[in-house]
Amino acid sequence: MKDLPLNPSALDLDPPKSGLSSFPTAERWDDWTEYDPAQWPKKVEKHYSLIPTICFNCEAACGLLAYVDKETQQIQKFEGNPAHPGSRGRNCAKGPATINQVNDPERVLYPLRRTGKRGEGKWERVTWDVVLDDLAGRIRSALKEGRKNEIMYHVGRPGHELIYNQRVLHAWGIDAHNSHTNVCSAGARTGYAFWHGLDRPSPDYANARFILLLSSHLEAGHYFNPHAQRIIDGKASGAKICVMDTRLSNTATKADYWLSPWPGSEAAILLAMCRILLEENLYDREFVRKWVNWQEYLRQECPQSPQTFEVFVEVLKQTYSIYTPEFAAKESGVDARLIVEVAHEVARAGPAVATHVWRNAAAGNLGGWQVSRALEFLTVLVGAVGAVGGTSPSGWNKFIPQPPNMPPPPNAWNEMMWAPEYPLAFFEMSFLLPHFLKEGRGKLAMYFTRVYNPVWTNPDGLSWIEALNDEAKVECHACLTPTWSETAWFADYVLPMGHASERHDLMSQETHAARWIGFRQPVLRVAMEKAGREFNSTYEAHRECGLGEVWEEDEFWIELSWRIDPDGSMGIRKYFESPYRPGEKLKIGEYYRWIFENLKGLPETAAKEGLTAYDFMRKYGAFLVEDNIYENHAKSLEQNVLKDSSIDPVTGVISRQGNRVGVQIENRPCQGFPTPSGKLEFYSQTLKDWKWPEYAIPTYVKSHVHRDLIDAEKGEMLLLPTFRLPTLIHSRSGNSKWLYEISHKNPVWMHTQDAERLQVATGDLVRVQTAIGYFVDKVWVTEAIRPGVIACSHHLGRWRLQEDSGGERWSTALVDLKQINPGQWMMRQVHGIEPFQSPDPDSSRIHWQDPGVHQNLVFPVQPDPISGQHCWHQKVTVTMARPEDLYGDVFVDTNKAHEEYRRWLEMTRPAPGPDNLRRPLWIARVYRPATEAFYFKKQV
Amino acid sequence: MRYGFVIDQDRCIGCHACTVACKEEHQVPIGVFRTWVKYVEKGEFPHTSRHFGVMRCNHCDSAPCVEICPTRALYRRSDGIIDFDNKRCIGCKGCMQACPYDALYIDPNTNTAAKCNFCAHRVENKIEPACVIVCPTQAILAGDLDDPASKVSRVVATQKVSVRKPQKGTEPKLFYKGIEGDVIQPARLSRQNTYVFAGRDDGHDNHRDAGFDPSLTRETYDVAHPAPWGWKIAAYLWTKSIAAGVLMVAALLAGPVGPGVWLRVFSPGIAVVALIVTGALLIFDLKRPERFIYLLTKSNFRSWLVLGAYILMAYGALATAWLLGIFEMPAHVPLFSWRTMLTLILSAASAGYSAFLFAQAKGRDLWQSPMFLWHLLLHALIAGAAVLIIVGWFLGEFLVIEGSMFVLMLAMMVSLLMVLAELALPHVSEDAKRAADTLTRGRLRLRFWGLVIGAGLALPIVLAISVLSSKVEKDFTSILVAVFALAGVWFFEDAWVKAGQAAPLS
Repeated sequence: MKDLPLNPSALDLDPPKSGLSSFPTAERWDDWTEYDPAQWPKKVEKHYSLIPTICFNCEAACGLLAYVDKETQQIQKFEGNPAHPGSRGRNCAKGPATINQVNDPERVLYPLRRTGKRGEGKWERVTWDVVLDDLAGRIRSALKEGRKNEIMYHVGRPGHELIYNQRVLHAWGIDAHNSHTNVCSAGARTGYAFWHGLDRPSPDYANARFILLLSSHLEAGHYFNPHAQRIIDGKASGAKICVMDTRLSNTATKADYWLSPWPGSEAAILLAMCRILLEENLYDREFVRKWVNWQEYLRQECPQSPQTFEVFVEVLKQTYSIYTPEFAAKESGVDARLIVEVAHEVARAGPAVATHVWRNAAAGNLGGWQVSRALEFLTVLVGAVGAVGGTSPSGWNKFIPQPPNMPPPPNAWNEMMWAPEYPLAFFEMSFLLPHFLKEGRGKLAMYFTRVYNPVWTNPDGLSWIEALNDEAKVECHACLTPTWSETAWFADYVLPMGHASERHDLMSQETHAARWIGFRQPVLRVAMEKAGREFNSTYEAHRECGLGEVWEEDEFWIELSWRIDPDGSMGIRKYFESPYRPGEKLKIGEYYRWIFENLKGLPETAAKEGLTAYDFMRKYGAFLVEDNIYENHAKSLEQNVLKDSSIDPVTGVISRQGNRVGVQIENRPCQGFPTPSGKLEFYSQTLKDWKWPEYAIPTYVKSHVHRDLIDAEKGEMLLLPTFRLPTLIHSRSGNSKWLYEISHKNPVWMHTQDAERLQVATGDLVRVQTAIGYFVDKVWVTEAIRPGVIACSHHLGRWRLQEDSGGERWSTALVDLKQINPGQWMMRQVHGIEPFQSPDPDSSRIHWQDPGVHQNLVFPVQPDPISGQHCWHQKVTVTMARPEDLYGDVFVDTNKAHEEYRRWLEMTRPAPGPDNLRRPLWIARVYRPATEAFYFKKQV
Repeated sequence: MRYGFVIDQDRCIGCHACTVACKEEHQVPIGVFRTWVKYVEKGEFPHTSRHFGVMRCNHCDSAPCVEICPTRALYRRSDGIIDFDNKRCIGCKGCMQACPYDALYIDPNTNTAAKCNFCAHRVENKIEPACVIVCPTQAILAGDLDDPASKVSRVVATQKVSVRKPQKGTEPKLFYKGIEGDVIQPARLSRQNTYVFAGRDDGHDNHRDAGFDPSLTRETYDVAHPAPWGWKIAAYLWTKSIAAGVLMVAALLAGPVGPGVWLRVFSPGIAVVALIVTGALLIFDLKRPERFIYLLTKSNFRSWLVLGAYILMAYGALATAWLLGIFEMPAHVPLFSWRTMLTLILSAASAGYSAFLFAQAKGRDLWQSPMFLWHLLLHALIAGAAVLIIVGWFLGEFLVIEGSMFVLMLAMMVSLLMVLAELALPHVSEDAKRAADTLTRGRLRLRFWGLVIGAGLALPIVLAISVLSSKVEKDFTSILVAVFALAGVWFFEDAWVKAGQAAPLS
């Protein structure tokens, strides 16, 4: 709500004269007293130090306030941090559940090294010194021997990434960052990036008049809690909501319009809405004329016609005339009248139209990136880009402060991630790694997985197991993780990294029309330091309060880098030296102190409270950098930027020293958008140049699971395997007993008609067959899914291979995994979840048995040839289970999985592009290497 | 000052944050909940919708849990919060039966009752409850309903709000805005054999469980609320029927039959033993049996658990005195002697007070039946007569057998008529109907028709008639009648306890 202070410096949370306040006032955070609820109604006072940190249980980076008991130095609980501008003191269920993760009796507390064969499950405890020396030695050898591309860092849940780990890897001079993004959001990002250069939307929900979601932001996604708050605020202020989702999500049920399309047809619906706006002249003519690159389109595609906006509109109407509501209805199954009605609502609300797609259709379908592109087309047509209540590009609302000592980008390009077949892939082709290794594209001398569980999360997990078990292909695998995981089992080192309250990270997300940073801190260390103690490393602090030797990555990378180059001869060490004590090793406190001292506005704000910038962030954990950010594109360029700049007479693009800095709009130099034209790109010359002329403008791509390709007569159906639950974390909820007791199984949602056809009822077993295998799951009969489509949540079906180790017993089934023939794997549950004895009495009271079924194992890799996004939706054959089938059975043939990989690879149109480029220079690339690395080396 | 909640279901997104924040604040063990979010779905594709309901203690102004709580462990604070002190709780589970909203549970760590207490420890610190501050959409409001300017008061005054089960007269202080009606009418919901993302094992009977019917509203998530009372409570009713009945029938027969060891020793002896067993069952049904003495030291005299304890003690004193010869029941005296009257009153009170206790279990509609008192009195007569038949049989006292048999036959005939009438008459509520359905056509139908009605009433009536219509001899038929009658009472008590708890409260 607007009456909550967004800026910590404005934080006066005095209790109201009568009534209750939401949070302790900030001046009492160092010594807060409250009654012990366990002894209530006896009034026993407990004293707490309130230390802010940032939740780690999804990417939203909401604020938490840890209540550290001053007597025991233990965390009593986590509440919300009222000083956090994104989350405003509130959290979803996963925030308070952090305490379960901290106190989990099953957690890994010390570094472990394998003693048997990889994957055999034999471990010994080692010291961090042993770990660091071994890893540093391997990395040093690889670097010295020119095997730069044999080092890979693969991240699941980002924390200190952004440029902070870029600093590390670029200091080592390598292109080594691999992420999970291509199994996640690359599809949507691509579509957005082709429009405005920035790859995410930042909707201004709270001020919107119409909210169009191809997402489930009231229960999941980026960024669930902050967005849910603002969507409901918008709704309460009168906004109407339309949700396009094949299954009835919690979000859909709160909407005024639920559109349940056949998966993959979303772009057809969106383009039909665009057509209605065009045909009925309901679009924002001035906005489109000023900000869309229509001149470029006419120049390239209609050079003979008069180059006027009127002509463009006519061409547009003609081009999109095929997308009638009836056509969209035929493709999607959604009533044509509903499509028209929603289009009219969008027009009525324009430009206060907030739209969002994050995964959903964009992550499910071949050509899914055109879904976000079509959605943004609609957004552009009503002039909502950057408008109050509209949808801004993400980068406007995100802030990444510079760290000290940034190394230059290396001249390195790692084709194990940025494969030449996928020059436009928005992120790394991470999930193809096992197939790249199988094909002999290279090997890995040092492979880090970091809060990443590819064996379980990625499609085709058994190919991952085969790859990770091959010690010739993956020589050393270190798993940085706060919990056991299916992937950690196949590591050489399992290295315990902290949860939300046990690590440093700097976070910023585009939660609304503002920019903020949030500071994640190891709260026990901070609490002890506030009490006068000093520590060299976070794990030493943790050792003192019974948290084993749980560490954090920031210090780990500093220490590792130092040991790679102890004498500085490799040119690495200098980046890990203190900016305050030349030549000496950087301390974590100095690192953040430097960042905060150099962050514009922060030292001044801190000074008002008599604090240093660093102490301010330690106290409040968040800082609002800028508020109410709208229409950045229309802002005039400042004179100092314009100095020595030149304007392209044809395109109006303003350049300075070879870099695009803005665009001339009606004789005014504006910031514009970070695209080649500086405008919103309806037309992408890039796509044309890179051999995809048919997709140069927003179109509807027939998905790999299009209706025509699914033969219901043969028992074929479409499996929608992507949806999330509000209570669970991708692959890290297994240690949260309070989350797991609410949701622990993932039956196959099936419409009543389909259940009748298959003669199954809720609880009956079905076999779901994909191209490479099958799984056996129970049915949940429901009216909340489109007939012909089945859906299964992706959170559940966790497993372990050994009774007493390798997986959280709160959440995993013990399974038997056998290779019955070369490449043919069979997994069967030995038993489900069972109560167990531990220091937590709750573990003996576990009342759930069903662990769910691991479906991702049976999905082949299906990379979109343009975005590189894994296309999650599956064409499946669903039958009643056979007599030999048991619940949870999984069968996979990895030979077939590799064939599927080859089949999808054939759809690609590989690099080089123009100028012998590996990838267009203008499209963002994470951990961007030096420009020369973008070019293939000339053949000698 | 009168604290209350407003839960705005229009804003609620069903995220369970309140559930988990509450668990964190109060360290609530797994399996039990102070607050939880119920999910229902209705409609047919594509016109399907899902609705949420945040369930918890309603902090009733007229709180049945406070009334039934025998030790005043549950109490109303001056600011309107219904709080509890687990150091006083004996774990009788009466509050769980009294609450019509499933708000209470037994904490497995302390074996005492617990529920939402409005985070009273925070409120005293002028801080809102944990669920309020965590809620992403600010759907939960907590405030003073007596302050017309408070947000809760304004919503209650100006918006469409509803409360759960207003017909119960509990005057809830939890007001829902925008809640789907079926969410708060559990009797209207259909259920499958599982919830969508969680197992379902609450043991509730539901004749709508059989299949999926899209025309009904479906419950797709709820938390388990297993029946608090089990066989020990049924057994306590049974042994108490024997204890009370044996002197009741003895007092009635003393005149017609005359003195003897049956009257002087066996009747009070059996009463004392049965009472001891009754007390033991009651105590061992407590989750904190070692605190049973709190019934007397921390008595809440509004609770029929306490009043019952005193009645049983008085009756026990009478039986003991009788056994010790201090209180001699004269034979061959007019029926209405003061001794007879005292015995009849105390035994009837011992047998019948449970009807008032069960009626204080306000959550259970079946137990609100005014007939239950008469069932219990008849059970006492049946059980007492049956026991005396056995005594008479062993002692060879045919008059005792004959007199008891006569009482037994009459009581069973009336009992049979009453049971059938009760089931045939319209029920006071949907929940009562469902509980009755559980007996007549639900999970308990075989036990009910076969054991309660058939073997427990009809058969012994027939046998009793045959015994009485011929010369009473020492044959096994009399014993059979007694055994069947006693078994019939047991099966009735067991079925009544089970059926009463069959309908879900939330």
